[in-house]
Amino acid sequence: MPSLPDGLVVVAKRECPTCTLVEPLLAELTADGTPVTVYVQDDPAFGRGATRVVDDTRLEHSFALDVEIVPTLIRVEDGREVERTYGWHRGDWQRISGRAGLGAALPEVRPGCGSLTLEPGVAETLAVRFGRAKFASRAVEIGAAEDPEEACFARGWSDGLPVIPPTRERVLRMLSGTTRDPGEIIGMVPPDLAPCTVEKVAINAVMAGCKPEYLPVVLAAVEAALIDEFGMHGILCTTMFCGPLVVVNGPIAQAIGMNSGVNALGQGNRANATIGRALQLVIRNVGGGRPGEVDRSALGTPGKYTFCFAEAEHPQWNPLSVERGFARGTNTVTLFAGEGVQGIVDQKSRTPESLARTFALCMRAVDHPKLAMAGDALLVVSPEHSRVFFDAGWSKARLLEELTALLQLPGDEMVVGAGGIAEGLPLSMKGTRVPKFRPGGIQIVRAGGSAGLFSAVIAGWAASGPVGSTPVTKEITT
Amino acid sequence: MHDIAEFESRSIPGVGVASTEFVPAAAAQAKSLGIDPKMVFVPHPIQDRTDEELRTLAEDAVERIVEAITARS
Amino acid sequence: MNGPTVLLDPTAELAPVARALSARPPSLDGKRVGILDISKARGNVFLDRVDELLAGRGITVMRYRKPTFTRPAPAVLVQQIAAEVDLVVEGLAD
Repeated sequence: MPSLPDGLVVVAKRECPTCTLVEPLLAELTADGTPVTVYVQDDPAFGRGATRVVDDTRLEHSFALDVEIVPTLIRVEDGREVERTYGWHRGDWQRISGRAGLGAALPEVRPGCGSLTLEPGVAETLAVRFGRAKFASRAVEIGAAEDPEEACFARGWSDGLPVIPPTRERVLRMLSGTTRDPGEIIGMVPPDLAPCTVEKVAINAVMAGCKPEYLPVVLAAVEAALIDEFGMHGILCTTMFCGPLVVVNGPIAQAIGMNSGVNALGQGNRANATIGRALQLVIRNVGGGRPGEVDRSALGTPGKYTFCFAEAEHPQWNPLSVERGFARGTNTVTLFAGEGVQGIVDQKSRTPESLARTFALCMRAVDHPKLAMAGDALLVVSPEHSRVFFDAGWSKARLLEELTALLQLPGDEMVVGAGGIAEGLPLSMKGTRVPKFRPGGIQIVRAGGSAGLFSAVIAGWAASGPVGSTPVTKEITT
Repeated sequence: MHDIAEFESRSIPGVGVASTEFVPAAAAQAKSLGIDPKMVFVPHPIQDRTDEELRTLAEDAVERIVEAITARS
Repeated sequence: MNGPTVLLDPTAELAPVARALSARPPSLDGKRVGILDISKARGNVFLDRVDELLAGRGITVMRYRKPTFTRPAPAVLVQQIAAEVDLVVEGLAD
């Protein structure tokens, strides 16, 4: 930082009534030959009577001096700050300037105003402009004739929808959403197994459209996706449908405004939309997993743009986080290799037994009604449907028990050739009862609007379990 | 150059042919477009040349044109 | 902001910053080459000769002309060319 001019330094802005109040004192302060330098944040015509007025509309000096409140008065000796005060306090100004009787006609005390360096969003702009912000990621200069939006498309950074161009200011702002060091390596992202830092996640979170307060959730989702048993590499390379689906539990969901209600699995909520998308962009951009290259999914699913929602937690049912071993009230993300949303319409069942049978029958269709022990299932129970279970005192565990029993299926119906269908289970399964899902293969969450006797099953990757992908849950930290 | 950049973005390899007068402008445009398309430059002038001279320029340039759009360059 | 827009690279930085050009084929064999005339005077003489030379090698050449050299080629023409050729030669700018 360049050394300060000796004498007195005043940082002010015309817009501040207290600065205007003390302006006449400048002439008084210079009267005995003391050099007085004024840095003005807005109007260079301010500061009559000072030895020198510096136009600081670029805020370079205010930023370097860490000014938070104007007016700020600093006494400088030998190029170094000795003492400072801010606002107008007669006693302080008299002492620091060494002029007894200064401002005798003024009120004793007046508070100052906020420095322009602290206007919302300005701090990051200044940090970048004056070189205080250091990034490990490569800077990419966009051509003068390029639209930054098009530039992101042209460089292959987009998932097909527009992304927010990741400027340094935006990334800096995003990084304020976590206390973690930007250089911290979270893990190696498949398929390229490139190291992913907090900074890289922040860049992709900016592109996805996240707010800084979403970043801890995104970081947890990326970390969860990199857990070995989640099998992210396989999920990416498969010719099947799936993509990582994120369920959020805990008070953070409401704190950041996530949606667990009407249209929970659909569009319209920024947190839902952008958190899921940020994860996908990290996989695409950091991991190198792109459709047509490593991503060979035959059909895919719209959920591969983004698939993230919060569970509608209810006192009568354990949230998914508790089912997965965390204390109630812990903020968690659970990742599931999910396909699409298959709607379940049941507007007549009033008993838990009948509704559970509906669910079980619809869940048979995961992968194929004649296949078993392949894909997992995520059952999303709507509030109206969940009430049927609450009224009967059924916990999630009770429902799970019922579904498991109902989903012991007759092997005879499922073997190859049965029903005139070539697909199916090996003939050795004839005469046995076959569980549709592997142990632990059914997850249950509650979500959705309060009007609608509809639930949904989201099928998991047909290689669910140790052969492919197992759901994982990670705590969200700041 | 804009057109070549557009074709490149559609996975169609392209080359622009211009007179040597265009060299500095092409460099500036590449910087401002954020992409450096292949260019083949032929000696200025163009307008004043006879048909025979222009055909000779084409014969001199054709190998470079082919190289610019195949993997040999 | 002053100066050019700077973005931070969201990728693993395994590829160079400069935008890569499309992959080139090993040769012109079996490829259709489009010649796009930018409509500057005299350019057609040059391009006609390039056309003859390529056709003489047995390469399929298709000819196109944009309405004016002062503007980028219209979208419809770009789409047509992109559908009909594998490679493009555009000229003659002076």
